[in-house]
This record gives sequence, C-alpha cells and structure tokens, in this order.
Amino acid sequence: MINLLSFSLCLLAFNGFAMAKNGHFKAIFNKRLDDVKRKQFLVLAWISILLSFSVCIFTQSGYGALQFFGFAGLSVLLVMTFNNFFVKLAKPFLIINFILLVISALYLALTLY
Amino acid sequence: MKGSFFRSMTWLHTWVGLLVCWLLYLIFFAGTLSFFRDEMSIWSQPAVHNITAQADRVGAQRAQIKAGFDYLNKHAGNSSNWRVTLPEPRVPYLKYGYAKPKEPGQRRSKFQDNNINPNTMEPLAPFVDTKGGNFFYRLHFDLHYMSPITARWIVCFASLFMLIAIISGVIIHKRIFKDMFTFRGNKGSRSWLDVHNLSSVLALPFHLMITYTGMITLIFMLFPYPALTTYDDGIGGFYNEVVPSNHVTDKAEGEAPMVDINTILDQVYTKWPAADITRVQVSNPNMASSTITVLVSPGKELRDQTPRLIFSGATGQLVAQTVDELTASKMLFESLNSMHTGRLADPLLRWLYVLGGIAGCVMIGTGCTLWAKRIRERNKSDIKPSLGLKLVESLNLATIMGLPLATCVYFLANRLLSTSVTERADKEVLAFFLTWLAVAVLAFIKQDKLQWRVMAVINSVACLSVPLINAITTNGNIITYFLHKQWTLFMFDALFLVFSFLFYVQSKKLCTATTREKAINASSSNKLTGQQG
Repeated sequence: MINLLSFSLCLLAFNGFAMAKNGHFKAIFNKRLDDVKRKQFLVLAWISILLSFSVCIFTQSGYGALQFFGFAGLSVLLVMTFNNFFVKLAKPFLIINFILLVISALYLALTLY
Repeated sequence: MKGSFFRSMTWLHTWVGLLVCWLLYLIFFAGTLSFFRDEMSIWSQPAVHNITAQADRVGAQRAQIKAGFDYLNKHAGNSSNWRVTLPEPRVPYLKYGYAKPKEPGQRRSKFQDNNINPNTMEPLAPFVDTKGGNFFYRLHFDLHYMSPITARWIVCFASLFMLIAIISGVIIHKRIFKDMFTFRGNKGSRSWLDVHNLSSVLALPFHLMITYTGMITLIFMLFPYPALTTYDDGIGGFYNEVVPSNHVTDKAEGEAPMVDINTILDQVYTKWPAADITRVQVSNPNMASSTITVLVSPGKELRDQTPRLIFSGATGQLVAQTVDELTASKMLFESLNSMHTGRLADPLLRWLYVLGGIAGCVMIGTGCTLWAKRIRERNKSDIKPSLGLKLVESLNLATIMGLPLATCVYFLANRLLSTSVTERADKEVLAFFLTWLAVAVLAFIKQDKLQWRVMAVINSVACLSVPLINAITTNGNIITYFLHKQWTLFMFDALFLVFSFLFYVQSKKLCTATTREKAINASSSNKLTGQQG
C-alpha cells in the first residue's frame, strides 16, 4: 500500500505538471488556464513529487531513488497516453488518481494508528 | 556561436547515435530481458514448473545444508569442490553439486548438479540442456561468437557513445519539459521525433544511470592502471585483496575429516541471527586444507559482493570474511554495480527496470528510424536512395524486427528440440542467430513498408506460438498457471500474448498507412493529369 501511495503521489505530480500547460488544460476542461491556476497546479505538483520521493527513500532506502524514477517514468507515460489518445478519459483518470491517493493514505493512516 | 554550438551538438547526437544504434539496441534488448533471467530459466526447465514456494524457506535452510553435506559426502567424497545452492524466492529449487574430475585439456572442472524439490527433498526429473535466461544475460555484455574481452571492449565503447548521445540529446532538446506530454500522431518524421523524445525523457534518469553504471561494472578492464601500479602482481593482486580467501590453513597437507556442518552454521547464526544463506561452497573436502564458504544474501543493501564467512573445513575455525563496513570508495563501486544489475530488486522495482529498458529500446529504435525517415522525406521521389540510406534501413529492419523473432525461435527451440540432441543448449542459441540472420538477409533484399508489415505478421504469429507450443509440449498452459497461481509461468506466457497482439496492431497500422499513402499518390497524380489536360 505504501508503494501505491508513493505512485499515486508521483502520478498526481505529473498530472499537475500537464494541467499547468494551457494546451492540455484546455483540451480537458474546455477553457483557458489563468495564471493563478497554473501556479496552483505547479505548487501542487512540486509538493506531490517531493512527497513521493521522500516516501520512496524512507521505505526502500537503497533502491528508493530507483523506484521513484521508475514511478516517474510510468507516470509520464500514463499522463501522455491519456492527454493525447484518450482526452475524454483524462478527467476520470485524474479523479481515479485522487481516489487512489486518498484510499492508500487512509489505509496507511488507519493501520499505523 | 550559439547556433554553431547547437548545430555541433545536433551533429554529434546524430552521428554518435547512428554509428552504434543497432549494437546498442541489442545490448538494451538483451539487458532488458536479463532482468527476468531467472524467470526465463524456470520457464525453460519444465522439471521445476510444479515446485511450490516453501512456507518457511529460511527456517528450512539448516536441514537442507545438513542433508546436502550427507549426500555429497556419500556420493562425491573424492571431488575437489562441493556446492550446496539453496532455494531463493526467484529460484525455488535446491542444488547439491560437485566438481567432476577434469578431462585432459580442460581448464575448469564441470559441475554435476543434483536438483532437489525442497518441499519433498526428492530429486527432480532430469533437466534439459539449455542456457535459459542466462543466454541473454551473457549476450548483453559478452555478445557471442567472439572473445569475451573483445566483446566487453566493444560494449564499453558503445556505452560511451550512448552516454555522449544522451547528454548531447538533452542539450539539443530545447523544449524538453514543454513537450514532455506531447505526441503529434500521423505527422511523418515529426511523430517519430515525438516518440523518440518521449521515450528518452520519461526514462532519462534510468538511461543515464544504466549507461554510466554499465561502464562502471567493467571499470577495472577499462582503467586497470591504478591496480597495476599499486600491486606487484597487478590486477590479480588487487582482486585477491578485495575477495576474502583462506590464508590460514590453505598450505596444510594430508587428509582430515570434515567438522560437523552444524558447528559452522552455529557460528554463522551467531554473527547474523536472521541470515538468509544463499550458498555453501566447499573446496578440497575431507582434506586438512579444506575451506567451507557460507554466502549470505545482503537483503535490501545496495551491495553486489555477497557477504561471506570462510571457515577451515577441518577445524571449523573462521579464517576469513568480507568486511561489514565498506570503505567509501568500495561502497560507491558496490552500489553502482548493484544499481545496474538490480539483482536485489523486488518484483515491482524489477518491472520498473523493465519499463526503463523498453523505453531505451524504443528510444534507440525510433532514433535510427527517424534518421532514415528524414532522409527519405528530404529526397525527391524520383531520386534513387543512396547506399548509406539503404544500409541503415536494412539494419533497422533486421535489428528492430529480427531480434524479437529470434527470441521467439530461441524459446520455441527450447520446447521443440529433442532432449537427446547433443549440445542442445548450443543448438538453441544457433536457432536464435540463424533466425536473426534470415531476417537480415530478407532486410537486405528489400526494406520497404511491405517487409515491415510481413515481419510484423511473422512476429505476431511467432509470439502467439510460444504459449501454444508450450501448452502442447508440457503439462501446463496459461489457464492452469493462472488457476494454480504459478505467476512466473503465467506472466511469461501472457507477455508473449501481449506482444503478439502489439505486433498484430503494428501490421494493421502499417497496412492503413500504405493504403493512405497510395490514396495520396493517386490523388496527386490525378490532379497532375487534370492540370496537364
């Protein structure tokens, strides 16, 4: 479950980076991206990616960085696929990403405490 | 200056990449498969298909080692070497092996392995003579049909070229983050460039890591000079110091009975209470100079050299051991080595390594295709393609489509060759190279889209035939593997089905592309006729 948490954080980060681009944002939400939203997406993406990296390092120690870069590669591939080939499914994909993140975080929180 | 610098970098990236791209594709292809070499070896040996994982693998090790020593004492008391290899999560069977007497002209003794089911402690059915996944592992850096040293130098130079290509590629790709999630389909060479960029960027840290650490694994071959100047006996002296060996009782003469193995194991478990022993080796058993080496898994540690304790076989005294705390330089070397091999990676990380490897193959494949595509687009249709362009197109087809087909044939040969064939393992390898040669011949005769389509169809059929032939020639198939939770075998067959589907999609896409091109050509010629009329 900890792997799912770090992966969903990483995926959320790259979804955030993609949404911070006007072209991708417009294709999914059908409106222009303003500067405030763009900054919010970037802040969310950077926080998320740093959290994902930290979780990988803390749980996997030696191989953590490698796992993080693997997650990053997989995330870019998924985000690119949905933003270019399945644009209509990109919004549900974003929602699934959030749900996975919440479920894994809640599960870990409940098992730890 | 700026324009000139970018132009120089573009030139460097193009030519450094193009010169070695086919060799790099082979290295990446074999390396990616090597991450699953144990799984491939298991698929290649039907005798081990039905072994289930032990409930308490580490807890059973003491009894397994004891039984192994009893067996070897009884059957190979006079052998020069014994080896008890214990089951691991990815290799679920037990091996009791001993060295056979050397034949005249032989440098090293051959080992006679007796394979045991660890659950029943009964011998397994005879193994088929095959290299399994180890063939791809050796192919990755030793190539084949040439001396390993020559091959390693070639691989190192190719890796150096790859590193230069990656760095120059990052420099010339100005919009590296802007284009990160962009793919523009059906736009000729633009689409190929997008795939090339995407596959490079999505696994860029992996590409850099795997290329750099790949050269580090062979660093003492590339730069032996520090060791040559420091040690009187050169690189051999360096290795002798790094690898612990018995200098206490190695000169002792005469016969001496072996100590009870439990005495040795007690010392191992005192030092490492949760030790996961991977192997126990004995040299000169039943002699006063005998040594017993116990190798232990380093777990999650980024360490390539297996921690080990060496005991005198006659007295049970600890005579040598690996250091627990590595020096900074050794730790750096060991961690870089183990990062490259991913030997201790868990299944998830192993799959991520494979994803990186596939991205590498796509990056190299699209890179060499892109070069040919751009030259084709630049050339006018009435100009005959140059010899260089034809050569590149032939090599592209032979490498990109030939290697998957050769791999399928290698696994088909494993199932179809009779077990009585002499040097059967070499025949499987021969089948691999003959298939690749056949594709290369076909590619040099003609390299157009039709050939790509034909190869895609052949590859699709070949990939489909691997699980089918497996189902016919063995007692299991993809459905039974799924029902019995034999995930290694299930994934092996499932991956071939996935690739069969992907090659089928490729053939369909190529068919559509050809039809579209014909339609465009026909409409343009009609327009031309109309204008002339």
